[in-house]
Amino acid sequence: MKEDLMDIICCPVDKHELELDVEERDDEEIMEGTLTCTECGEVYPIEDGIPNLLPPDMREEAPA
Amino acid sequence: MTGDRDAGDDPDDGTARPRLAELRETETVYQPAEDSRLLADAVVETVDAGDRLLDVGTGSGYVAARAREAGAHVVGADLNPHACRQAAAAGVPVVRADLTTAFRAGAFDLVAFNPPYLPTAPEAEWADWMERALSGGEDGRAAIEPFLDDTARVLAPGGAAFLLVSTLTDPEAVREYAAARGLSATEVAGESHPFERLLVVRFTSAGD
Repeated sequence: MKEDLMDIICCPVDKHELELDVEERDDEEIMEGTLTCTECGEVYPIEDGIPNLLPPDMREEAPA
Repeated sequence: MTGDRDAGDDPDDGTARPRLAELRETETVYQPAEDSRLLADAVVETVDAGDRLLDVGTGSGYVAARAREAGAHVVGADLNPHACRQAAAAGVPVVRADLTTAFRAGAFDLVAFNPPYLPTAPEAEWADWMERALSGGEDGRAAIEPFLDDTARVLAPGGAAFLLVSTLTDPEAVREYAAARGLSATEVAGESHPFERLLVVRFTSAGD
Protein backbone atom coordinates (compact mmCIF):
# COMPACT_ATOMS: atom_id res chain seq x y z
CA MET A 1 0.00 0.00 0.00
CA LYS A 2 0.99 3.61 -0.49
CA GLU A 3 1.04 5.98 2.42
CA ASP A 4 -1.74 8.20 0.99
CA LEU A 5 -4.18 5.34 1.67
CA MET A 6 -3.96 6.45 5.32
CA ASP A 7 -6.25 9.39 4.43
CA ILE A 8 -9.21 7.12 3.63
CA ILE A 9 -8.91 4.04 5.85
CA CYS A 10 -10.00 3.66 9.46
CA CYS A 11 -10.50 1.00 12.11
CA PRO A 12 -13.39 -1.17 10.87
CA VAL A 13 -14.66 -1.62 14.42
CA ASP A 14 -14.83 1.92 15.88
CA LYS A 15 -13.93 4.07 12.80
CA HIS A 16 -11.05 5.82 14.55
CA GLU A 17 -7.75 6.71 12.90
CA LEU A 18 -4.97 4.18 12.44
CA GLU A 19 -1.30 4.56 13.19
CA LEU A 20 1.12 3.19 10.61
CA ASP A 21 4.26 1.26 11.50
CA VAL A 22 6.41 0.35 8.51
CA GLU A 23 8.60 -2.75 8.68
CA GLU A 24 9.52 -3.00 5.00
CA ARG A 25 9.25 -0.49 2.18
CA ASP A 26 9.82 -0.89 -1.56
CA ASP A 27 10.10 2.63 -2.98
CA GLU A 28 6.72 4.23 -2.22
CA GLU A 29 5.06 0.90 -1.53
CA ILE A 30 4.73 -0.24 2.09
CA MET A 31 5.16 -4.01 1.87
CA GLU A 32 5.12 -5.12 5.51
CA GLY A 33 3.99 -3.39 8.67
CA THR A 34 1.05 -2.80 10.95
CA LEU A 35 -1.87 -0.43 11.36
CA THR A 36 -2.91 0.15 14.97
CA CYS A 37 -6.18 1.75 16.01
CA THR A 38 -5.49 4.89 18.03
CA GLU A 39 -8.65 4.24 20.06
CA CYS A 40 -9.13 0.50 20.68
CA GLY A 41 -5.53 -0.59 20.06
CA GLU A 42 -6.48 -3.37 17.61
CA VAL A 43 -3.52 -4.20 15.35
CA TYR A 44 -4.11 -4.86 11.63
CA PRO A 45 -1.32 -6.43 9.55
CA ILE A 46 0.06 -5.23 6.21
CA GLU A 47 1.32 -8.29 4.31
CA ASP A 48 2.74 -8.38 0.79
CA GLY A 49 1.71 -4.75 0.42
CA ILE A 50 -1.95 -5.41 1.25
CA PRO A 51 -3.46 -4.07 4.49
CA ASN A 52 -5.84 -6.54 6.15
CA LEU A 53 -8.59 -4.42 7.68
CA LEU A 54 -11.07 -7.21 8.26
CA PRO A 55 -12.61 -6.90 11.72
CA PRO A 56 -10.84 -9.31 14.11
CA ASP A 57 -13.79 -11.74 14.21
CA MET A 58 -13.60 -12.19 10.42
CA ARG A 59 -9.83 -12.37 10.10
CA GLU A 60 -9.49 -16.09 10.76
CA GLU A 61 -12.37 -16.97 8.49
CA ALA A 62 -10.79 -18.66 5.47
CA PRO A 63 -12.78 -20.75 3.02
CA ALA A 64 -10.63 -23.17 1.01
CA MET B 1 -6.85 -31.27 -12.12
CA THR B 2 -5.52 -34.55 -13.52
CA GLY B 3 -2.47 -36.64 -12.77
CA ASP B 4 -0.78 -36.26 -16.16
CA ARG B 5 0.91 -32.97 -15.48
CA ASP B 6 4.41 -34.28 -14.80
CA ALA B 7 4.58 -36.45 -17.94
CA GLY B 8 7.57 -35.17 -19.87
CA ASP B 9 7.50 -31.76 -18.18
CA ASP B 10 10.65 -30.02 -17.13
CA PRO B 11 9.81 -29.06 -13.54
CA ASP B 12 11.74 -25.79 -13.91
CA ASP B 13 9.95 -24.71 -17.05
CA GLY B 14 7.14 -22.44 -15.91
CA THR B 15 6.23 -21.25 -19.41
CA ALA B 16 4.42 -24.27 -20.86
CA ARG B 17 1.56 -24.33 -18.36
CA PRO B 18 0.12 -21.75 -16.01
CA ARG B 19 1.87 -21.80 -12.67
CA LEU B 20 -0.15 -23.55 -10.01
CA ALA B 21 -0.50 -20.32 -8.04
CA GLU B 22 -1.93 -18.51 -11.06
CA LEU B 23 -4.29 -21.36 -11.76
CA ARG B 24 -5.47 -21.30 -8.18
CA GLU B 25 -6.13 -17.54 -8.30
CA THR B 26 -8.24 -17.97 -11.44
CA GLU B 27 -10.30 -20.63 -9.70
CA THR B 28 -10.83 -18.65 -6.52
CA VAL B 29 -11.49 -15.16 -7.92
CA TYR B 30 -14.60 -14.18 -9.88
CA GLN B 31 -13.52 -13.11 -13.37
CA PRO B 32 -15.20 -10.23 -15.22
CA ALA B 33 -18.51 -11.21 -16.82
CA GLU B 34 -21.54 -9.41 -18.29
CA ASP B 35 -22.53 -8.03 -14.87
CA SER B 36 -19.04 -6.59 -14.32
CA ARG B 37 -19.12 -4.93 -17.74
CA LEU B 38 -22.59 -3.44 -17.26
CA LEU B 39 -21.54 -1.95 -13.92
CA ALA B 40 -18.20 -0.66 -15.26
CA ASP B 41 -19.90 0.96 -18.27
CA ALA B 42 -22.37 2.78 -15.99
CA VAL B 43 -19.58 3.92 -13.67
CA VAL B 44 -17.35 5.11 -16.52
CA GLU B 45 -20.25 7.11 -17.95
CA THR B 46 -20.64 8.98 -14.66
CA VAL B 47 -17.12 9.33 -13.34
CA ASP B 48 -15.27 12.63 -13.60
CA ALA B 49 -11.48 12.87 -13.66
CA GLY B 50 -10.26 13.16 -10.08
CA ASP B 51 -13.31 11.48 -8.50
CA ARG B 52 -12.47 9.19 -5.61
CA LEU B 53 -14.01 5.76 -6.19
CA LEU B 54 -14.24 2.68 -3.98
CA ASP B 55 -14.85 -0.62 -5.78
CA VAL B 56 -16.37 -2.98 -3.20
CA GLY B 57 -15.82 -6.69 -3.89
CA THR B 58 -13.30 -5.71 -6.52
CA GLY B 59 -12.44 -9.33 -7.41
CA SER B 60 -10.06 -9.23 -10.36
CA GLY B 61 -10.02 -5.41 -10.14
CA TYR B 62 -11.90 -5.01 -13.43
CA VAL B 63 -14.39 -2.25 -12.48
CA ALA B 64 -11.72 -0.33 -10.55
CA ALA B 65 -9.30 -0.51 -13.48
CA ARG B 66 -11.98 0.74 -15.90
CA ALA B 67 -12.76 3.67 -13.58
CA ARG B 68 -9.07 4.46 -13.26
CA GLU B 69 -8.75 4.61 -17.05
CA ALA B 70 -11.56 7.18 -16.92
CA GLY B 71 -9.47 9.32 -14.58
CA ALA B 72 -10.76 8.33 -11.13
CA HIS B 73 -8.60 7.78 -8.07
CA VAL B 74 -9.59 4.21 -7.25
CA VAL B 75 -9.32 1.85 -4.31
CA GLY B 76 -10.55 -1.73 -4.33
CA ALA B 77 -11.77 -3.74 -1.34
CA ASP B 78 -12.34 -7.47 -1.12
CA LEU B 79 -12.80 -10.15 1.54
CA ASN B 80 -10.96 -12.72 -0.53
CA PRO B 81 -7.15 -12.66 -0.17
CA HIS B 82 -6.73 -14.17 -3.67
CA ALA B 83 -8.86 -11.37 -5.13
CA CYS B 84 -6.80 -8.78 -3.25
CA ARG B 85 -3.61 -10.16 -4.79
CA GLN B 86 -5.13 -10.30 -8.27
CA ALA B 87 -6.46 -6.73 -8.10
CA ALA B 88 -3.12 -5.51 -6.75
CA ALA B 89 -1.35 -7.24 -9.66
CA ALA B 90 -3.69 -5.31 -12.00
CA GLY B 91 -2.36 -2.11 -10.43
CA VAL B 92 -5.40 -1.37 -8.25
CA PRO B 93 -4.61 -0.15 -4.71
CA VAL B 94 -6.41 -2.69 -2.60
CA VAL B 95 -7.51 -3.22 1.00
CA ARG B 96 -8.69 -6.52 2.40
CA ALA B 97 -11.92 -5.41 4.00
CA ASP B 98 -15.57 -6.25 4.64
CA LEU B 99 -17.66 -4.03 2.31
CA THR B 100 -17.16 -0.33 3.20
CA THR B 101 -16.49 -0.84 6.92
CA ALA B 102 -12.75 0.01 6.88
CA PHE B 103 -13.12 3.38 5.13
CA ARG B 104 -13.57 6.85 6.56
CA ALA B 105 -16.77 8.84 6.53
CA GLY B 106 -17.13 10.98 3.41
CA ALA B 107 -14.01 9.52 1.74
CA PHE B 108 -15.54 8.78 -1.71
CA ASP B 109 -17.45 10.47 -4.52
CA LEU B 110 -18.49 7.10 -5.93
CA VAL B 111 -18.86 3.58 -4.58
CA ALA B 112 -19.40 0.63 -6.94
CA PHE B 113 -20.46 -2.88 -5.91
CA ASN B 114 -21.09 -5.97 -8.00
CA PRO B 115 -22.28 -8.18 -5.14
CA PRO B 116 -22.58 -11.92 -4.79
CA TYR B 117 -26.28 -12.27 -5.50
CA LEU B 118 -27.28 -15.77 -6.55
CA PRO B 119 -29.96 -17.11 -4.19
CA THR B 120 -28.44 -20.17 -2.56
CA ALA B 121 -29.63 -22.80 -0.10
CA PRO B 122 -27.91 -22.40 3.29
CA GLU B 123 -26.18 -25.80 3.20
CA ALA B 124 -24.53 -24.97 -0.15
CA GLU B 125 -23.13 -21.65 0.95
CA TRP B 126 -19.63 -20.31 1.38
CA ALA B 127 -17.76 -23.59 1.08
CA ASP B 128 -15.00 -21.86 -0.85
CA TRP B 129 -13.99 -18.43 -2.12
CA MET B 130 -15.74 -18.76 -5.48
CA GLU B 131 -18.98 -19.75 -3.78
CA ARG B 132 -18.51 -16.71 -1.57
CA ALA B 133 -18.15 -14.51 -4.67
CA LEU B 134 -21.42 -15.80 -6.12
CA SER B 135 -23.79 -16.65 -3.30
CA GLY B 136 -26.11 -14.03 -1.90
CA GLY B 137 -27.76 -16.25 0.71
CA GLU B 138 -31.33 -17.55 0.57
CA ASP B 139 -32.85 -14.34 -0.86
CA GLY B 140 -29.74 -13.23 -2.77
CA ARG B 141 -29.45 -10.09 -0.63
CA ALA B 142 -27.10 -11.28 2.15
CA ALA B 143 -24.29 -8.97 1.00
CA ILE B 144 -26.49 -6.23 -0.50
CA GLU B 145 -28.27 -5.33 2.75
CA PRO B 146 -25.18 -4.75 4.94
CA PHE B 147 -23.71 -2.80 2.00
CA LEU B 148 -26.76 -0.50 1.97
CA ASP B 149 -26.49 -0.13 5.77
CA ASP B 150 -23.04 1.51 5.58
CA THR B 151 -22.49 2.94 2.09
CA ALA B 152 -23.97 6.41 2.76
CA ARG B 153 -21.43 6.87 5.57
CA VAL B 154 -18.42 6.70 3.22
CA LEU B 155 -19.95 8.94 0.53
CA ALA B 156 -19.01 12.61 0.32
CA PRO B 157 -21.89 15.09 0.00
CA GLY B 158 -23.40 14.66 -3.47
CA GLY B 159 -21.80 11.22 -3.83
CA ALA B 160 -23.47 8.13 -5.27
CA ALA B 161 -23.31 4.36 -4.91
CA PHE B 162 -23.72 2.12 -7.98
CA LEU B 163 -25.04 -1.37 -7.26
CA LEU B 164 -25.51 -4.22 -9.71
CA VAL B 165 -28.91 -5.81 -9.01
CA SER B 166 -30.39 -8.89 -10.71
CA THR B 167 -34.10 -9.63 -11.05
CA LEU B 168 -33.19 -12.86 -9.16
CA THR B 169 -32.76 -10.84 -5.98
CA ASP B 170 -36.02 -8.84 -6.13
CA PRO B 171 -34.96 -5.29 -7.08
CA GLU B 172 -38.11 -3.88 -5.46
CA ALA B 173 -37.09 -5.36 -2.09
CA VAL B 174 -33.62 -3.83 -2.54
CA ARG B 175 -35.17 -0.46 -3.31
CA GLU B 176 -37.44 -0.63 -0.23
CA TYR B 177 -34.57 -1.65 2.02
CA ALA B 178 -32.52 1.30 0.74
CA ALA B 179 -35.43 3.76 1.05
CA ALA B 180 -35.82 2.78 4.73
CA ARG B 181 -32.19 3.88 5.17
CA GLY B 182 -32.65 7.25 3.50
CA LEU B 183 -31.29 6.24 0.08
CA SER B 184 -33.17 7.03 -3.11
CA ALA B 185 -32.70 4.73 -6.08
CA THR B 186 -32.53 5.40 -9.83
CA GLU B 187 -32.10 2.70 -12.46
CA VAL B 188 -29.28 3.84 -14.75
CA ALA B 189 -28.68 0.74 -16.90
CA GLY B 190 -30.31 -2.57 -17.71
CA GLU B 191 -29.61 -5.65 -19.79
CA SER B 192 -31.66 -8.81 -20.31
CA HIS B 193 -30.13 -12.28 -20.15
CA PRO B 194 -31.74 -15.72 -20.48
CA PHE B 195 -32.63 -16.21 -16.79
CA GLU B 196 -32.44 -12.73 -15.35
CA ARG B 197 -32.37 -9.05 -16.10
CA LEU B 198 -29.35 -7.16 -14.78
CA LEU B 199 -29.80 -3.60 -13.55
CA VAL B 200 -27.42 -0.94 -12.34
CA VAL B 201 -29.08 1.10 -9.62
CA ARG B 202 -27.67 4.42 -8.48
CA PHE B 203 -28.27 5.31 -4.82
CA THR B 204 -27.95 8.77 -3.34
CA SER B 205 -28.71 10.07 0.11
CA ALA B 206 -32.26 11.41 -0.06
CA GLY B 207 -31.05 14.72 1.40
CA ASP B 208 -28.49 15.38 -1.36
